[in-house]
Amino acid sequence: MAGNFWQSSHYQQWLLDKQDLVRERQLDLQVLSEEEYQKLFIFFSNFIQILGEHLKLRQQVIATATVYFKRFYARNSLKYIDPLLLAPTCVGLASKVEEFGVISNSRLITTCSTVVKNKFSYAYTTDFPYRTNNILECEFYLLENLDCCLIVYQPYRPLIQLIQDIGNDEQLFSLAWRVVNDSLRTDVCLLYPPYQIAIACLEIACVILGKDHKNWFAELSVDIEKIQEITRYIISLFELWKTYEEKKDIQALLAKMPKPKQSPSR
Amino acid sequence: MEDRLRRYEKIEFLGEGQFATVYKARDTHSDNIVAVKKIKIGSRADAKDGIHRTALREIKLLQELHHQNIIGLLDVFGHMSNVSLVFDFMDYDMEVVIKDTSIVLSPANIKSYMLQTLQGLEYLHNNWILHRDLKPNNLLVNSEGILKIGDFGLAKFFGSPNRVYTHQVVTRWYRAPELLYGARMYGTSVDIWALGCILAELLLRVPFLPGETDLDQLTRIFSVMGTPTEESWPGLTLLQDYIQFKPMPSQPLRHIFSAAGDDLLHLISSLLTVNPLGRCTCEQALQMEYFSNKPAPTPGPQLPLPSSINRKQEERPSLKRKLLDAVDGGSLAKKLIF
Repeated sequence: MAGNFWQSSHYQQWLLDKQDLVRERQLDLQVLSEEEYQKLFIFFSNFIQILGEHLKLRQQVIATATVYFKRFYARNSLKYIDPLLLAPTCVGLASKVEEFGVISNSRLITTCSTVVKNKFSYAYTTDFPYRTNNILECEFYLLENLDCCLIVYQPYRPLIQLIQDIGNDEQLFSLAWRVVNDSLRTDVCLLYPPYQIAIACLEIACVILGKDHKNWFAELSVDIEKIQEITRYIISLFELWKTYEEKKDIQALLAKMPKPKQSPSR
Repeated sequence: MEDRLRRYEKIEFLGEGQFATVYKARDTHSDNIVAVKKIKIGSRADAKDGIHRTALREIKLLQELHHQNIIGLLDVFGHMSNVSLVFDFMDYDMEVVIKDTSIVLSPANIKSYMLQTLQGLEYLHNNWILHRDLKPNNLLVNSEGILKIGDFGLAKFFGSPNRVYTHQVVTRWYRAPELLYGARMYGTSVDIWALGCILAELLLRVPFLPGETDLDQLTRIFSVMGTPTEESWPGLTLLQDYIQFKPMPSQPLRHIFSAAGDDLLHLISSLLTVNPLGRCTCEQALQMEYFSNKPAPTPGPQLPLPSSINRKQEERPSLKRKLLDAVDGGSLAKKLIF
């Protein structure tokens, strides 16, 4: 995305403080442990990813949708809006904002139903329950809770620039790209600017591939401590994945999740 | 939500466009006067897809843009597909000024409007945004004489080589020749062309190139600026909708704009260069001698106000003096007020 990051709403309003995040989540963390909370967000990030892929969206749009989703719950309890409704709403809004073709709400709903049935039957035993009207209503709450800040900067573009500087290395690039995708399952997109996330992901990819670019990293003018913090978030995600079986645990987690009160049907 | 609906008290209806209705309103929290733009729901099929694309464009771009010469988005409220945007209230637009025959536009006044527009546009282009719908009625002015570029319903980021754009943008009279020839990849030069047409209109007080069809538009452009050739515009014949026109010579601009000095004629011809790659940028335009030569641009508060605004505001005593000054001294630009 173009524009000036340093004057953007992303930089000025949407790089949050770790303490703020903890405070905002208090309500949910009375019911869920921090790990359970993270597991739910991993699940819904996967849901957004697969929904986006089914709609043939670009990764940029999927990433923006994921950030909208995380920003919304950075300010609201899970019981404010069912994440199963908010996730497609984020995808719809992101596709409109990024202007890579608009998805009609009816196509969004149809694809959601298919994806829930075919890909997430281990989590949901019933049909996807929402209709276009629900998405319409939800879209405005989303826009409002985002404070109308719709342009999100992603680590993909800085990553491309960094890779060009380090010397084009296709293998390193594609791994680093995937680590950026993984980083969407952590809180880093709420806490750190995208260029720092890109550097951290590149560093992780170098370590995994055993490529020594120490000198190159040493010359970067960047707050190394921040990079290390980001790295720790991502590594702990990898640690979690080693033992976590989503298919086995997710139904219990979804059952435990705080839910909206059933509103009287109108 | 209902709080927000009640926060803005409607004062009067201001106008209606393709996508929206605009009202003047009072913000009961701050007591400021604002403009509320209520986005039309449109067809039932449109409404089903939620917040309209034009509204989303304005919201997403204006949320990121902060410049004296760009309209400020103050608030957004509504419910479901029914969205309203709250903007700075602007007293009039340049179309009103151009059409108001009681207003005399001095060279200093025109320089002030051009300077403010170029500064706003330069900021947009530096942020990789194309406006794509510049015309007099999207250049808004408040009673302090501050000009702001408005209506971002067609605006878009540019610079991604993999993006193809529609050429059906910009109101025809202000549409650049490359758009009329169907170019799908274009840049800041489309806004520059529109600006050239607006400058010409400020001088002539009638639309410069009022084409009746897209073909007529091209004919009018070439009859003034000369028919382009593959030499003057490399790649011209490869454009999607290219058609050959009979060769016409360019007319000397000083015959059309008889009152304009050499520096101004230079600016006009740089803005209205037919080959988009030869057209100047905002930065180049701002560096031209026209802007450093005398007369200095009129300070905002001394710009003329349309008669419709004058009448209303005479009731306010604090503004009266200022207004009378503006009416009496048409050449206020030369006065220095300390």
